[in-house]
Amino acid sequence: MSILQVNDVTKVYEGKVTNRALNQLSFEVEKGEFLAIMGPSGSGKSTILNLISTIDRPTSGEIIFNDIKPQNLNSTELAFFRRRELGFVFQDFNLLPMLTVEENIVLPLTLDQKPVNLMEERMMVLAERLDLTSILHKRPNEISGGQAQRVAIARALIHQPGIILADEPTGNLDSNNSREVLELLSKINKEREATILMVTHDPIAASFCDRVLFIKDGEFFNEIHRDDRRQTFFQRILNVLSLLGGGQVGDLSSIRLP
Amino acid sequence: MASFFSVLVFFIYSMLMFHPEIENGFLGNVPIVWMVVAEVILVLFSWFFIFYSMRAFLEARTKEFAILLHLGMERKQLSKLIFLETVIIGSISIILGVIFGYAFSKFFFMIVREILMLDDLPLYISWQPFLLTIAVYLSAFILISLFSIHFSPDRKLIDLLNGYKNIQTKVAFTQRRAVLGIVLILGGYVLALFITRSNMTMFSIFITILIVIGTYFFFTDTTQYVIDKMKNKRLFYWKKSRMLPMAEQTLVLKNNGKMFFVMSIITTMAFLSIGLLATLSSYTSQYDKLNPLGLIYKGHIDNPYEIKHISSVVNALEDKGLSYHLTRFTVLKQTSSYTKFEVEVFRESDINNLLFSYGYPMVHLSSGEAMFIPYTKESIKELAKKKVDTVLLENNLHLTIDQVYPKLIFPTSIVSLNSIIVSDTDFKKLVNPYSGFPDIEPGYHLFTFDIPQWIEAEDIGVAIQKDVAEEYLKEEYTLPYYFENAGLNYSYILSTYSLFTLVGLLVAAVFLLAAGSFIYFKLHTGLEAEKKKFDVLKRMGISNNELKSLVTKLLFPQFFLPWGVALCHSFFAFFAIQKIMKNFANISIVKEVVFAFAFLVMIEIIYYYLIRWRFIAHVRD
Repeated sequence: MSILQVNDVTKVYEGKVTNRALNQLSFEVEKGEFLAIMGPSGSGKSTILNLISTIDRPTSGEIIFNDIKPQNLNSTELAFFRRRELGFVFQDFNLLPMLTVEENIVLPLTLDQKPVNLMEERMMVLAERLDLTSILHKRPNEISGGQAQRVAIARALIHQPGIILADEPTGNLDSNNSREVLELLSKINKEREATILMVTHDPIAASFCDRVLFIKDGEFFNEIHRDDRRQTFFQRILNVLSLLGGGQVGDLSSIRLP
Repeated sequence: MASFFSVLVFFIYSMLMFHPEIENGFLGNVPIVWMVVAEVILVLFSWFFIFYSMRAFLEARTKEFAILLHLGMERKQLSKLIFLETVIIGSISIILGVIFGYAFSKFFFMIVREILMLDDLPLYISWQPFLLTIAVYLSAFILISLFSIHFSPDRKLIDLLNGYKNIQTKVAFTQRRAVLGIVLILGGYVLALFITRSNMTMFSIFITILIVIGTYFFFTDTTQYVIDKMKNKRLFYWKKSRMLPMAEQTLVLKNNGKMFFVMSIITTMAFLSIGLLATLSSYTSQYDKLNPLGLIYKGHIDNPYEIKHISSVVNALEDKGLSYHLTRFTVLKQTSSYTKFEVEVFRESDINNLLFSYGYPMVHLSSGEAMFIPYTKESIKELAKKKVDTVLLENNLHLTIDQVYPKLIFPTSIVSLNSIIVSDTDFKKLVNPYSGFPDIEPGYHLFTFDIPQWIEAEDIGVAIQKDVAEEYLKEEYTLPYYFENAGLNYSYILSTYSLFTLVGLLVAAVFLLAAGSFIYFKLHTGLEAEKKKFDVLKRMGISNNELKSLVTKLLFPQFFLPWGVALCHSFFAFFAIQKIMKNFANISIVKEVVFAFAFLVMIEIIYYYLIRWRFIAHVRD
């Protein structure tokens, strides 16, 4: 049962220099799937994320969420839709610095004007699950990067959205914190059957997913599914990446498994 | 733009100040020192204002400077760049300001002439205002550019580039100071309620100190304390969409506490100046109601100068061609059995003579009847209810007094609290003089001149006025006569009033402009960070209306908290002033003050909506 369908989506940016960011891209995301979209810089990863987040509209093609077509909603309905159906995790966390950790977590619910006890309840549950109870009263500038991203994930989960969109969640984290965050995402995906769509260029991050979709220059390039072991999946990802384009050596990670 | 306007205002005011008419003639009575004071205030404020606006301007461009430095510009080159820019901006605003100022001067003069009822103020060319304006502003700009160069380069490059990522979010306030703030302000208010004429000076100083310190603590500590307490009540705090704006307010208040304090004090002062102006204008406009007579001459019954003075006044009036109606009163003092004190007795036909010239209804009394003469407007109501049966002891004359003349006949200054009118027949019976005779005068002669054009009579009887004024200052008043020229007094009051108007309006305008621009600059510098925050929120999903309501919840306290406090302070200040005025001149300033306040509040609301509109427009895209 697919929760998200991207059908033949094309996005062209007009202007002095016309730029075709996406070209007839199509894919589907099943409920409970952990999907990664990988590609070199400029391949259109952020564009596709913006389109799915409904911040931008495709030039042609359509995006369907659970049989809802966002392009038919007006801007207010869109805002509500985003608030209730989508959860976001950003590369630079984007926690509001003037709020404490627990306030940051419940922020989406306050904007939706939900009852206070509901907010408290959900927050406590999530804080326990994500091991955040010790830092609930701290502010974002007092916690480590990994903790901050965990807070962001909690914030993305609290309103129980249909799908979580993560934009390079490990981009600003060192390897330990990255691993922490990725394991957390994986855990959420398994235990709560949360659908997660992650855009990344880090093959280590992609190796935690169920499926990896490769795009190059706005077009579908390849897709591979995970197998039993993460290490072999990781190796296969690297193989695909090496095919993505001879000139872009910098995209390859320097880690190679024996 | 801000600089330009500042120069404009300054220049126009300087033009006014150095106007030959004003310098030489009209306001000559009032010391020029007040004008100089006003000018100094204006200069100081202009400097301060320019400084602040340039600084805000530079702050907004830190990222640009950081990039330049990053690319390899020397500090020295950057300093030169800033300096040149400042000087160019400064010169342009000075030149434009002066040109436009000159163009608008005539217009401004006309307005001033209307307000102050002066004769024509012609446009003139003189080097003084030009020079002053240029000197002041050029020096301001140069100083500022020198200053600012020394200020900015100390920050590290990386901080400048990263900009707003690391906002300080610790809160620092103490409960003690918070409570102290409230206590001091309330203390000031209580004192204002109890002010009287006797303790006026001392109380005013006290009150001012209390309120200023109290307001400071209020904004630095109390506001944060209150919000903190509210935050603890989660049920309230998290409800609806309050959480975000409230949390932000803590930050805003902490960072800008001092600025809010300055703003509210400045706004209070602006309110006070405007309110005072309203007071004065009401006083002047009511003046002729309170002083219905053009000239008054009062003298002892055996005053030797009487004939000389009266004929000189009459001659002067005829020379000037002013029509007048002269009434001569003989007023006798008697002792009333009712009060045991003296009462002044007027004759009916004398009064009717005066009333005829006023065009008021005449008095008809029969024997044994008498009428009160009101001494103030309020007293009319009071005396109407009074009914007195009394005997004039010296002549054993029975009188029933149960009426009061329904209008003011005499100005408050010359009528005593106990004055009555009796019929002519009764008056003739008062042969025995006042019991206090010969130590106290048994009565007096009163000459009243009702002059329709009393304003023009201001230089009649100046010589007599001079003697009276000198004598008045002595311990004992020994002259056998007293003279009052309403027109002359009015011209004094008018000149004081016009001075205060000039100074007051100017000061108020400057203050209001300054307060408003503080907010504007402050908001402007924080705009980038705000935009970023709203971008995140938009991503997470908020509708346009919610965006607007968040902005409102954010901006509203920032504007109306200082203004509200200022309004409150001004309210109590005027309450105190009203009490004093009641004692002094017995007029109510309530109506004018309310009007002035309403006007100011309206301006503020408009300003708030304007800024909010700009803010939303900027943040939305």
